[in-house]
Amino acid sequence: MKEYDVIIIGGGITGAGTARDCAMRGLRTLLIERHDLADGATGRNHGLLHSGARYAVTDRDSAAECIGENLILKKIAPTCVDDTGGFFITLPEDDLAYQSTFIESCRAAGIKAEAIDPVLALRMEPSLPHDITGAVKVPDASIDPFRLTTLNVLDASLHGAEILTYTEVTGFISSSGRILGVKLRDTRTGERFERRARITVNAAGIWGFRIAEMAGTRIAMFPAKGSLLIFGHRVSRMVINRCRKPANADILVPGDVVSVLGTTSTKIPFEECDGIRVTADEVNLLLEEGCRLVPALASTRVIRAYAGVRPLVASDDDPSGRSISRGIVLLDHETRDGIGGFITITGGKLTTYRLMAEMAADLVCRKIAVSKPCRTAERPLPGSEEHHVRHQNDSLGKKAAGNRFGLLTDKMDFASKSEVICECEHVTRAEIEYAVKFLDVHNMIDLRRRTRIGMGTCQGTFCMTRVATVLAETLGCPEKAPDFIREYVEERWKGCTPVCWGEGLREMEYMRKLYREK
Amino acid sequence: MKFDIIIIGGGLAGATAGVELLKKGRKCCIVSEGLSLHHTPMDEYLALGGTLLPGDSVIVGIWEEHRLKAVLTRNLGNTPLEADTFLLCTGKFFSKGLKATMDSIVEPIFGADVEFDPCRDRWYDSDFHAPQPFERFGVKTDAEGRVLIAGAPCENLIAAGEILAGEIDIIKSAKDVCRTLI
Repeated sequence: MKEYDVIIIGGGITGAGTARDCAMRGLRTLLIERHDLADGATGRNHGLLHSGARYAVTDRDSAAECIGENLILKKIAPTCVDDTGGFFITLPEDDLAYQSTFIESCRAAGIKAEAIDPVLALRMEPSLPHDITGAVKVPDASIDPFRLTTLNVLDASLHGAEILTYTEVTGFISSSGRILGVKLRDTRTGERFERRARITVNAAGIWGFRIAEMAGTRIAMFPAKGSLLIFGHRVSRMVINRCRKPANADILVPGDVVSVLGTTSTKIPFEECDGIRVTADEVNLLLEEGCRLVPALASTRVIRAYAGVRPLVASDDDPSGRSISRGIVLLDHETRDGIGGFITITGGKLTTYRLMAEMAADLVCRKIAVSKPCRTAERPLPGSEEHHVRHQNDSLGKKAAGNRFGLLTDKMDFASKSEVICECEHVTRAEIEYAVKFLDVHNMIDLRRRTRIGMGTCQGTFCMTRVATVLAETLGCPEKAPDFIREYVEERWKGCTPVCWGEGLREMEYMRKLYREK
Repeated sequence: MKFDIIIIGGGLAGATAGVELLKKGRKCCIVSEGLSLHHTPMDEYLALGGTLLPGDSVIVGIWEEHRLKAVLTRNLGNTPLEADTFLLCTGKFFSKGLKATMDSIVEPIFGADVEFDPCRDRWYDSDFHAPQPFERFGVKTDAEGRVLIAGAPCENLIAAGEILAGEIDIIKSAKDVCRTLI
């Protein structure tokens, strides 16, 4: 059996980043994910590249980590980052005195925070409420978590890592207190097999609790559900936050063609982590609070609601989960529990994934006596090695692909395959074929995460038949197109139902007429 | 302009009713917003000499007590369309016969009473392929198919097709309504 240096469990951003780091240091690396990449909390958040300002007052260490990583990611991942900048606004009902505490805390953490006169702030961002009493500009930005994960995994594989998606860990191979490898099951074929490695890294987010249990130890983490809404347009130029202690629905992030508002925070039992749903009450709360942040949201169509589960490492009994540190937790189970060859990396945030990966990879290297330095802070992600130049005469599809993939666009065949398949996001056949060839795509939901296909206003209602046909042809299994459509429509339905009013319900009725099977 | 019957909505229900009524010698006019997947009954309606206002929609009704005297349309402006009887065949949500707000369902032209569940979490089934509760929402009528507004039946406004609450056979519902009119 093939022996690896390191097996990483979890294809979210933490696992993807760790796989990239390990592979770049020359380790024989295997990444395992039970569903698809970025299926869990990684793909179910704001897509906010924190400046750290949100944590400046309550958690200076996290704030400092954020600003450090914020500046690194803007450099190494320009195709994933939209450098919008951000505002922290004060409303008449908020305490304006908090603003000076906030600015001081930001500066102490190394975050550039600048108070802007409300009149000027309104000129810079006319979507703000006209009664704001204060505004602070910070270097927040928008980041695409799907693409970020994809590119980390792509780079890992370019450095020799192997990737197994749709593969679930069913147990560990261990001997005299040491983890020697993992027992696996292919979730599509049911086939069972094993893989061995010198070190196994648990990077499974909230599901890491179960992974640790399987390995024979407990991590005191608890799941906190956060619900978010996607609006059908960008209604602000910048990220908008409330300048007060973190609360519900106080961040709006413009990303690609949409805006994301969130979140709520509710402690949930572990049994509910799979298949969580957003309730009408949560949607109502988000909208009510969100309209106070940006009034235009009241007249903007909500196209989807979704929820993620944050892996918070518990330190007290706070039911909201908000006062708990968002800090990074790295556990060496050998020193902690006497389980050799097993470590856990958890806590943290999307923004700090690279640092988490570096810490985990450092520990892996120490344990197997490899002394290679981490290079992930300097080496750009694939496609961002040099500045990507857009040409005026390029087709719309090629320009859109260039924004998403930078120099990787050169590997796409726009000469003969430039027809647009998804109109909302301008995804072409060339980009679909590239994704199938290089980005580990097995179905339409995977393809959506790689290319943003079906993520725009129509949510795939109008393009999905075409996409399914092109994808099935490209994969060489045209008979699978109806299955792709079924899976896709069922998945989209989950996000449409919590916001089933207005134009949304019209489209749901139409979607049923087109695609229902009973 | 005066007709015997004005049919609001030119989908399967409206066009089927139009054909039935023309065959009985009634003077009909269909106001149709446009999109319909069902060409056959509409083609027959036109071949029989029915009047069609395509690409138009009814904005408001002109009432005399519980009797609808005329309707105004977007394209005809101040020229009222008068009739003895009006058929409401505007369908459900996609065709804009019903409109959902965050906490209620309304019939946008006349404000007719609508049957629906007040709890939004129960408007849908989480299984896409299962019958959806929102597809059974619709306007309330009395036993003769007369539309209820604020609990009282309108004398001459009758609903047919998918705009009705409950499980509906569209063609049967249109034909049934015509039988009561003839």
